[in-house]
Amino acid sequence: MSIDMSQFYQVFFEETSEHLANMENLLLSLDVDDPSLEDLNAVFRAAHSIKGGSGTFGFTDMTSVTHVLESLLDRLRKEELALRADMVDAFLAAGDVLRAQLEHHQGGPEADADEIETVCARLNQLAAGESAAATPAPVAAASAPTATPARKIRLECTLPPNIAGVAEVIDNLLDALRDIAAVDVKQRPNPADTRLILVLTTQAGDSELKDSLAFYSAPEGISIQPEAEEEAYGFFDDLPSEAASPTVDDSYGFFVDLPNEPVSAAEEDDGFGLFDDAPGVPIEPAQQAFVLPGDSPAAIEGPGYGIYVDAPGGLGLFDGAPGAEHVLGIGAPGLFSGKAKSEAEATETPGEPVSVGRRLIDNPSIETAKAGRRDSDKAVTATNTDTSIRVAVEKVDQLINLVGELVITQAMLAEAANNLDPVLAEKLLAGIDLLSRNTRDMQESVMSIRMLPMSMVFSRFPRVVRDLAGKLNKQVEIKTIGDNTELDKGLIEKITDPMTHLVRNSLDHGIETPEKRIAAGKNPKGTLTLKASHQGGSVVIEVIDDGGGLNRARILEKAKEKGLPVSDNMADFDVWQLIFAPGFSTADVVTDVSGRGVGMDVVKRNIEGLGGRVELESSPGFGTRTVIRLPLTLAILDGMSVGVGGETFIVPITTVIESLQPKMDDIRTMAGDSRMVHVRGEYLPLISLAEAFGLDGFDDITKGLLVVVEAEEGKAALFVDELLGQQQVVIKSLEANYRKVPGISGATIMGDGRVAMIVDVSAVTRMGLSNIKRRQAA
Amino acid sequence: MDYPETSGIATSGEYLTFTLGAEEYAIDILKVQEIRGYDAVTKIANAPPFIKGVINLRGVIVPLVDLRIKFNLGNFTYDEFTVVIILNIGKRVMGVVVDGVSDVIQLSSDNLHAAPEFGSILDTRYILGLGTVEERMIIVVDIERLMTSQEMSLVESAGQPLAVAT
Repeated sequence: MSIDMSQFYQVFFEETSEHLANMENLLLSLDVDDPSLEDLNAVFRAAHSIKGGSGTFGFTDMTSVTHVLESLLDRLRKEELALRADMVDAFLAAGDVLRAQLEHHQGGPEADADEIETVCARLNQLAAGESAAATPAPVAAASAPTATPARKIRLECTLPPNIAGVAEVIDNLLDALRDIAAVDVKQRPNPADTRLILVLTTQAGDSELKDSLAFYSAPEGISIQPEAEEEAYGFFDDLPSEAASPTVDDSYGFFVDLPNEPVSAAEEDDGFGLFDDAPGVPIEPAQQAFVLPGDSPAAIEGPGYGIYVDAPGGLGLFDGAPGAEHVLGIGAPGLFSGKAKSEAEATETPGEPVSVGRRLIDNPSIETAKAGRRDSDKAVTATNTDTSIRVAVEKVDQLINLVGELVITQAMLAEAANNLDPVLAEKLLAGIDLLSRNTRDMQESVMSIRMLPMSMVFSRFPRVVRDLAGKLNKQVEIKTIGDNTELDKGLIEKITDPMTHLVRNSLDHGIETPEKRIAAGKNPKGTLTLKASHQGGSVVIEVIDDGGGLNRARILEKAKEKGLPVSDNMADFDVWQLIFAPGFSTADVVTDVSGRGVGMDVVKRNIEGLGGRVELESSPGFGTRTVIRLPLTLAILDGMSVGVGGETFIVPITTVIESLQPKMDDIRTMAGDSRMVHVRGEYLPLISLAEAFGLDGFDDITKGLLVVVEAEEGKAALFVDELLGQQQVVIKSLEANYRKVPGISGATIMGDGRVAMIVDVSAVTRMGLSNIKRRQAA
Repeated sequence: MDYPETSGIATSGEYLTFTLGAEEYAIDILKVQEIRGYDAVTKIANAPPFIKGVINLRGVIVPLVDLRIKFNLGNFTYDEFTVVIILNIGKRVMGVVVDGVSDVIQLSSDNLHAAPEFGSILDTRYILGLGTVEERMIIVVDIERLMTSQEMSLVESAGQPLAVAT
């Protein structure tokens, strides 16, 4: 093969895992008794595009599994079979197998061959099962995704010159075709005429044929015509469904990068879809127009595109594919899939797309991306079009850094401009005002690039719950609220594990068995609710179950056993916190206390590591709610800026409980030296930040302020000179160019361009406490 | 070409010279990123006195070392003439505070004499040699080795990964 495929593997891997996830979601949301045709179609499309992609890249093991899967799905969506729950199970199992195979191709362990065998057999059985009577040739039905009777077609395929002469490539191509059709070669390509002419007898649809050839030639280089008499036989017979399949386009998506692929195939498909519905358009000229590019890659981008715009008839639709998308799409197959989907939506409802096409044709002035976009938007009905581009995270981070710089520069400018005479420098000041607004907006939008919806996390749980509930013989319904709440990518990745833990706990120990629930007068089906929302500067994620709740008496008993300081009058809130104590959660407690045990301390530690907090609420018999509070991003910290000895320090606001002005009476000394402060009935160690950081701060405690903080080590009061304000700061590493500094977790750049240190409250508390101890010892 | 045994760094090339008190020093110009004024330094808690603190260099937090304090050159002031040389060493960016930058000179190993061995604060390990330009003595410093050394306490594990980087 003359083209190195491996560079596209990553794209395939990413897309395929997306399709798999998508498929699983759809399957889980399917109503078995009354499946929506749209969903079935969507599942089919996902399977189909995995098949297309894996076939193209030579991952034949995946192709064969998807093929079987597809056959059954196809029969379902054509309503030849009724959907049953066991089919959904089989589909899910097939999804797992595919995922395993995908991981194998990505360098993971080999997929279990027996498993694959079982799944395929099961699918085949389901597909063949009741259908033997319905269709005369079940085998054929299984081997071809569409149950069209065999037909004879003439296929002309113009190959790029560089592969046209390679016999080996042509043989590969023919082999690929022989899998789905009987092939009769009429003309092999030669340097003079790079066309490959075949007569095929096949049940496969045109698009499937094109799929098989996609790697060798752009779809516009392929012409398929019924051989001889079957004139009226649908030229684009299969297209409505195919055009409706973004999947095909997805797999074409990566060919956009191929040097020999002149044009975006996705657009071509749209075009074909249009022809199907617009009978008046002459096919032959269109075909020629399509075949035109392809000689020199250089000539393609510009003029190639131009051809479509100027081309007669239905080609006008390409205007609808906005130029901007065309350009962007070259690096971003995802964009095309979205676009294709929107067109697909159009083709699904016949009539409408024609009008869209017509409108575009009639109005040659629609050339701008904007206009095109608007038209295609109209074609989109209710579905949420998924337009996205893939960008490396480093690039985004770099952008965020740069915008951070910009914000600082802007702040400096604004400060410098304060000294100017407002009358003389009116224009400059107005410009600076505008600049500050623009930079703020820009920072916001750039930060939002890193934000991902919570559905990225939530989407995995329906499956977890389904499997686990089945295993535990419980009936559980999962609800998610606030799927669109956005969270920083880094947090999304790190929150998944603790969430999984909480969900499993809820299912295992929270929600009771149906019998118990009925006995308690509850719905036998338990409900697990996952909820995400924004509250101020943080994201709140809740895991709520309507199970038995925590057993207060049992927890207290266990805590006493462990020697933890507890009393019977403790507030519920504090009792629940006990289960986060490390080592508290033994298996024995877990089962008896209706849950919440194993590894809750790990959950808590992980969440605190992300700068968040976790809290529990529970009422016996009604369930438990776990509330996780997280900062919006890892890169930004809500801080309280304090002044100590002329320097500015940032104290993370999550650790601050209150700040107060101390009275001399509140300060007590212990052993004559270490100071304690009496705050609301508690004696807290008093730690002077100036002392901890070797600065000249205030000596007189009544002149300064105390910031009461809570760290792992407990509460402490930090003595500072003054409070300067509260603001969000961008965390910068000190270690990048320097080294770790005790008591400092990082640095940030303030509005005036100066560097401020971020206080590591835990470490400072520790340092302070050990200082006190040391002094006591001395 | 001859290399002094003190270092593997080529000693022929362009050097930036700067003054510390009455003395004149030179460093490899390829290690220099830029030269700027001394401004808005944030102190670092519990750092040795010659580490003046960190500055914001277009969003990068850069530590500053005052070589005058390090080399014990007494009497130093911070005014508008105080100069900070920003260095690129390994993958790190750091700054040194000096009294002034004077020139860029061409030195070949022929003009370099080995520094005499006597106990000074500036260990001869960090000196590539002594050069003479127009009757002035110029101390050529192996700035990379100096800045990554343990005694500068600028890097966590002194020396190893960075010294190899050359």
